[in-house]
Amino acid sequence: MSLRYQRLLLIILSLFFVLGATLLILFNTKENISYFYTPSELSSLNINLDKKIRIGGFVEKNSFNKVSAGDFNFKITDDINSIYVNYKGILPDLFREGQGAVIEGYFQNKEIFNATTVFAKHDENYMPASIKSKLENSGYWNKNY
Amino acid sequence: MSSLIGFASLVLAILFNAYLIFSNFFIKNNGKVFNLFIRTSSVLTIISFFSLMFAYVVSDFSNFNVFQNSHSEKPLIYKISGTWGNHEGSMLLWVSILSIYGLLFSFTKNIDLKFKQETLLIQSSIHILFGLFIIFTSNPFLINSVIVEEGLGLNPILQDPGLAVHPPILYAGYVGYSIVFSQAIASLLNHNKNKDWISVAKKWSLISWTFLTAGIALGSYWAYYELGWGGWWFWDPVENISLMPWIAGLALVHSLLMAKGEQLLKKWIIFLSILCFSLSIFGTFLVRSGILTSVHSFASDASRGLFILLIFFIITGFGFLIFLLKTPESSKPINFLFINKASALVINNILMIIATLTILLGTIYPIIVEVLTNDRISVGGPYFNSTVIPIMIPGFLLMSIAPILSWQTNKVRNARLYVLGFVVISFIVLIQSYFSTFNTWGVLGLILGIWIILASCISIISSSKINYDFKLLQKINPYIAHIGVGVAIIGITCSSVFKNEYELNINEGDKFQIENTMISLEKIEMTNEINFQALRANFLIEKNKKIVARIKAGKNYYPVSKMITTEAGIFHQWYRDIYFIVGDQKDNNWFVKVYINPFVSFIWVGVLIMVLSGFIGISKR
Repeated sequence: MSLRYQRLLLIILSLFFVLGATLLILFNTKENISYFYTPSELSSLNINLDKKIRIGGFVEKNSFNKVSAGDFNFKITDDINSIYVNYKGILPDLFREGQGAVIEGYFQNKEIFNATTVFAKHDENYMPASIKSKLENSGYWNKNY
Repeated sequence: MSSLIGFASLVLAILFNAYLIFSNFFIKNNGKVFNLFIRTSSVLTIISFFSLMFAYVVSDFSNFNVFQNSHSEKPLIYKISGTWGNHEGSMLLWVSILSIYGLLFSFTKNIDLKFKQETLLIQSSIHILFGLFIIFTSNPFLINSVIVEEGLGLNPILQDPGLAVHPPILYAGYVGYSIVFSQAIASLLNHNKNKDWISVAKKWSLISWTFLTAGIALGSYWAYYELGWGGWWFWDPVENISLMPWIAGLALVHSLLMAKGEQLLKKWIIFLSILCFSLSIFGTFLVRSGILTSVHSFASDASRGLFILLIFFIITGFGFLIFLLKTPESSKPINFLFINKASALVINNILMIIATLTILLGTIYPIIVEVLTNDRISVGGPYFNSTVIPIMIPGFLLMSIAPILSWQTNKVRNARLYVLGFVVISFIVLIQSYFSTFNTWGVLGLILGIWIILASCISIISSSKINYDFKLLQKINPYIAHIGVGVAIIGITCSSVFKNEYELNINEGDKFQIENTMISLEKIEMTNEINFQALRANFLIEKNKKIVARIKAGKNYYPVSKMITTEAGIFHQWYRDIYFIVGDQKDNNWFVKVYINPFVSFIWVGVLIMVLSGFIGISKR
């Protein structure tokens, strides 16, 4: 086999695999990406009930309620709008009223959100970049958080 | 005082390196002077690192970094490892490891002197770039402006033995690629005709890869028992970033195997060497800039990110520019056949690079979308599972037979035996899964894993005469590494496909049954430890009415930082882990989550085998 044919073969082989990978990526991105919203944005949007989304904001003060051990409801707010959230499971250690949190899950109906996962702020100085800029925009960003 | 020594020696080390580079343009340094300068600068950097560690150990709160991240009531191990438990210290660790590698490399014998010096000069340039980064954006030696008695304490989540081992070993992997990178560039600049750099590159790429493997596995194990980090693999950006240089490094190690007789590959090897280090720095940038939302990022600062991005562009741009300008001429075609070792290795390389690109795309896709549409999105685990795994499967299939293929011919020794083995395994696994729970991925993973182990074993038995000494171990080393992969695949498949989750509301003294195991919540107790209070639920695990284990799970409360951490309790068995998490309580009724994770131990054993075979490979020749 000459050098030229070998290169041709290599290129064809690579293209074949790249094509396969591209198809896989195209078929898989649509369903597996979750969008990120703040409560204010959600009030003006129509969200599909079967679409998994993330909501970022703060846990509203005096909204936290423990139904039983492992079953909670609370409100996520950005100080303009708030959303009622149900969650069954174990809350992160840093989950507190007045602190930042991100929840992931589905809307049960227009009013109630069922969270499947709750993420809380990681440490005292840390705030995920995505919430920070969103909250800065909506004017509810306090440096001391 | 220690801050002053640390800062002065860090600056001096950079000056030494700068002098070395500039003087090299004007005068010809002889070997001895050159080595003296390189080694002095390395030692100074290491002194700088240890003086920071000293400040942590003696709780010298006149150092601002120590004040912010330490507390005098912390156990000694966390005072030592707290040195790199923060951004500034971890960057100093990065540069120190770079220096240690430079120091070690300066003792390498039997290579061309000019080549060695140029490698070390490139190494020095990297040292200067990152040294300046530390001094200007993340100086760990700043003096505290007020006099304080006590520090603010280390983030309780980081107060874990994992912090002591995971970052240094991971960095040893990342930074090791700097030597591979420098060698590749030096050999381009040199038009190095002799091939001895390939054997040196082999050694260093294997060292980096082995440390990176161990580092990732340690991090993975830490994330497995730490609640809220998403288990042993979460496809979190920070995890993906470590996986990219790992896969690219794997491609590099395999290409170097093939490099013996093939000139054409030199180009590819150099390309991969540059790629590996670029990915390592890119990873540092993504983690340190906080541009991506990750569960593992602890600090973020835009100006630091910008600086590292600049360093990334300088190093990567320089590397690929030299690569384009000075590409080595290829003369001889590769000995390709329909199925021989060379073609198998080439396909494996193509697949690995595509897998790396797929991960890269998924990881930076949120950034691209945000820049273009201003939408915030996150790409979750399902994307990676359903793209990366199918891409890797042909590679795994190839891997099981690759070591027995020959270099020169199309023939496969004992081909029938292998086909028979494959059919039998598939049959057994299918039957077994038909009678239990059927899952396509589960079946596929099990067949692949078992098949890789079996094929490697057949190869070992049929290829060598059995005489037990170290030489034999080196000869069958590739098979050992592949057996490790097979074992890990079984562990990964079972623990992700067949895991079960149970939620319970129980009181003290309650008994419950989970998958044929009787478990009881014996009691809940509070204890006082050195720097935290612990709440522990004691679970008794019974077998045939006998108590086989007592597992503690609960929460810690750290008064210094007023934080609570959840501590999982794990009952390890070779074929499964029983994983306990204690949640909230109401009226003494506790919410408890129990996970049954089958065959998790196989992941760690598999990785351990890979790391061991990595070290055997390093000790070779």
